[in-house]
Amino acid sequence: MEETVETGYHALPQPDELGTREKEDAMGAYLMMFASIGAGLPLPIINLIASVIYYFVNSKKSRYIKFHCHQSLFSQLPTSLMNAGLMFWLFQIFIYDNWEYNNNFVGYAVMVGVFNLAYFVLSIVGAVKARKGQVYYFLFFGRLAYSHAYKVRENDSMVKSAPVNQPPSM
Amino acid sequence: MFPHAFLLLFFGIWGSILSFISFWIILFTGRYPESFFEFQVKLMRWQLRLNARMYNLVDDYPSFGLDGTDELTSLEIPYPENLGRGHLLLKAFFGWLYCALPHVFVLYFRLLATMVVSFLAWWIVLFTGKFPEGMHGFITGTLRWGTRLGLYLGNMTDEYPPFSGRE
Repeated sequence: MEETVETGYHALPQPDELGTREKEDAMGAYLMMFASIGAGLPLPIINLIASVIYYFVNSKKSRYIKFHCHQSLFSQLPTSLMNAGLMFWLFQIFIYDNWEYNNNFVGYAVMVGVFNLAYFVLSIVGAVKARKGQVYYFLFFGRLAYSHAYKVRENDSMVKSAPVNQPPSM
Repeated sequence: MFPHAFLLLFFGIWGSILSFISFWIILFTGRYPESFFEFQVKLMRWQLRLNARMYNLVDDYPSFGLDGTDELTSLEIPYPENLGRGHLLLKAFFGWLYCALPHVFVLYFRLLATMVVSFLAWWIVLFTGKFPEGMHGFITGTLRWGTRLGLYLGNMTDEYPPFSGRE
């Protein structure tokens, strides 16, 4: 694959340049949102832990997989934090009786629900696109993941450095 | 056993996560993701290495890790290029009835027998230094049977497991 050092980013692979296994591994990154169900522990944090493990296991395989792992992981962070906040609030109301059930709680719960739904839909779309060998950019996180995965870095082993041996000057 | 079991617990949780996700991937694509399949096979090999030692089928200490090697046990599972989606749904809804129930029922008694055989074999090995071949074959067959059942119920093959531990 050619590097486009001029633009500062590596060239994006086209669907026909990617193998089935690579596409499947990229798809798997988004499906880590179901990890807590698979583990039999209904805790949102399990999904985040699974995404982190999946990232470290697979991200070095290729830039395409790294991009999707990054995007999946980054996009999961806000929803995980919001879910944790909701759990904390729920515990304060129903378990510890420290706070009262009020409209603020309902508003927050609905907002978290909408965010989770959006995350779910986006992740499914991302998984389907990844399986087809396509790149799909989420709002904000897409650019961030692209930058992380495809930006040309100095210590990048795939970047050809300037040749050391030069012909004599004539 | 404890260090292996401790590590296998966490790898097993990861395996069940991948298995659950694989179910949905097979349902929509008809393929078990190759890297997920490889992980499951390596995990099964690790469990087999440990089980073989627990039943005294082989000597020496089992190697750790998914990439651990073992000259005394082998488990080869061909990768299925395509898996039937109808078969997958059949297994999901009725697998417990036509596969898990009859196999677990028979395997339960076979496992009890395996425990007894293993106990007897332990004494025989202690006094003679030799593991009787028939007993060895019986215990190996139980492990083989359990592995085949796991493969089928884990959606790694569409081939119904035989009611036997033979090769």
